[in-house]
Amino acid sequence: MEKERTHAKTWEIDRIAWVTLVSIVILLVFPLFIRSPAFLQFMILILWYAYLTTSWNLVGGFAGVLPLGHATFAGIGAYTSSVLFVHYGLTPWVGMFAGALLAAIVGVILGAPTFRLRGAYFALATIAICESLRVVLENIQKFPFLGFDINGARGILLPLRGHSPINYQFLDKRYFYYIILVMLAIIFYITYRIARSKLGYYLVAGGEEKEAAEALGINVAKCKLIAMAISTFFTALGGTFYMQLVHYIYPRGIVSLDLSFEIAFIAIIGGRGTLLGPIVGAILLVPAAELTRTYLGGSYEGVHLMLYGAVLMAVMVFKPRGLMEPLEAFYRWVSGKFFPQPLLQTEKGS
Amino acid sequence: MDIIVATIINGILMGGVYGLTAMGLTLIFGVMKVINFAHGSFLMAAMFVTYYLFRITGIDPYAGLVIIVPLLFALGYFTQHVLIRPVFKIERDVREPISVLMLTAGLWIFMDAFALALFGAFYKTIRTPYKGTVLHLGDVIISLPRLYAFLTTVILAILFYLFLKKTRLGKAIRATGQDRDAARLMGINIDRIYNVAFGIGIAIVGVAGAVLMPFYYVHPVVGVVFDIRAFIIVVLGGLGSIPGALLGGVIIGVVESLVAQFITATWTEGIIYAIFISVLFLRPEGLFGFKAEW
Repeated sequence: MEKERTHAKTWEIDRIAWVTLVSIVILLVFPLFIRSPAFLQFMILILWYAYLTTSWNLVGGFAGVLPLGHATFAGIGAYTSSVLFVHYGLTPWVGMFAGALLAAIVGVILGAPTFRLRGAYFALATIAICESLRVVLENIQKFPFLGFDINGARGILLPLRGHSPINYQFLDKRYFYYIILVMLAIIFYITYRIARSKLGYYLVAGGEEKEAAEALGINVAKCKLIAMAISTFFTALGGTFYMQLVHYIYPRGIVSLDLSFEIAFIAIIGGRGTLLGPIVGAILLVPAAELTRTYLGGSYEGVHLMLYGAVLMAVMVFKPRGLMEPLEAFYRWVSGKFFPQPLLQTEKGS
Repeated sequence: MDIIVATIINGILMGGVYGLTAMGLTLIFGVMKVINFAHGSFLMAAMFVTYYLFRITGIDPYAGLVIIVPLLFALGYFTQHVLIRPVFKIERDVREPISVLMLTAGLWIFMDAFALALFGAFYKTIRTPYKGTVLHLGDVIISLPRLYAFLTTVILAILFYLFLKKTRLGKAIRATGQDRDAARLMGINIDRIYNVAFGIGIAIVGVAGAVLMPFYYVHPVVGVVFDIRAFIIVVLGGLGSIPGALLGGVIIGVVESLVAQFITATWTEGIIYAIFISVLFLRPEGLFGFKAEW
């Protein structure tokens, strides 16, 4: 009996490995056959949102709080690397790590007092921080002491260098596609490792029952700050990526509540605190949102958010844990239909 | 000197309206322990109702209160009954359920974007007969529509306070806010109280929307301006406190108008956020230590 069970298990793992391998190959190969830059841009955006949301998930999902201002850190990343590039000629490949470090430091400094706040207060504080950074950026023409200009509300335009890999500038969108794919893979792997580490369990414990976790000797605050540092670090890298992709940022375009909400909503709809939830959320929502933006929102910025709001409410009412739950059930049902043998054996064995 | 006095008076008058929006928010929080993120969107809805009421039928915003208040009450009542209640049921044991927070955040975004699709992004104003009329007090000029709005706020605040303290329903609402399980054991229908409390909170915001229209403009995301101020005010005044909400509103109004007058208008937001963040970090229980009435 024991042998049968292990056999079934390895078979199940084999199948998951195969599915993963095939999807990775598809993701890697298909851009080679795509000629339309618009379609590639579309794919890049899906991956970009999946990346940001997975980063958010470390704090918003595992640590059990609700940050609604993550665009702050994307903005810090984009602005830092751009200023370093425009004024000091430093390549964004290096500059993005400067931005990411800065974002992580800011994240920890802001996180230390905010994590003490309860539910709604925490969410409000993150909104306020995001909005105040936007106001500051909009009102500063020339950065004090250092003397470089960030042009206030007009924003920064990236000087174009043509096809220049050393400066993180490419004419072909496919480079960006592969970059963001690798970035997503990295953050996914990190999340995967954290979810299975002591830190991950501590985070979940501290998020669900703070007092109980502390009574067991877990330093909840420290765990949350580590998660915050990692999350903000990678969010900032995503900000730089966006800047290199579109060559232009202005405060309202990146340090905005819209982006903050999109990030949080995608994760919540997909399933916060799950590994695949943010990616599923991005795959489901971003294409729909882009289509609404194209067909409805021609003249107005933000109409596509209607969809996010409506889907979020529906998910909260019917599937409060997110769409991963029904999808997993569906997967089990499908695999039960097509591969009944090993699954039955597993059940018999256990 | 006159400029300073006029600026402060202007700030106080505007602050009254901020306080009014915050009052609805603080009621909902006090009873349900939920921050209604969609609060400003309901204000926006009330303003659009007022706007179209005036444009189509010519009903004055103040007379229109007869229609607007019941309408917004119903809107709030059914929002709570249809949307929030089922989510609440799942997390009944949690004191401040986070999924309800997310639900109202979704409602906020949905309503704003929906209004944008429906009405377009233009700023809309109405011309009441008393628009632009002023009162001269020596050298100080006071805008009459703002004064009316402020007086309405004060009257409503007193009425609301008496309602909570004296009537049976008011007492039931407060009891639910204090301890929902004990209240249930005393035979109070919690679900109904939640519906009514949410309805009243939204109706109050409806009044704010109506009295704002004669001197303000409406557009789909006007709610965000008031939303964020209302959050700040309830934290300043102490979450759940009604006098705190009014006083917090007046403070924010005065700060805002002083900054706009003497520094620059674009920095106002920044300074308000700075106050908010410092209060959150230093005195999360509120500035004046008013005990919540729940």
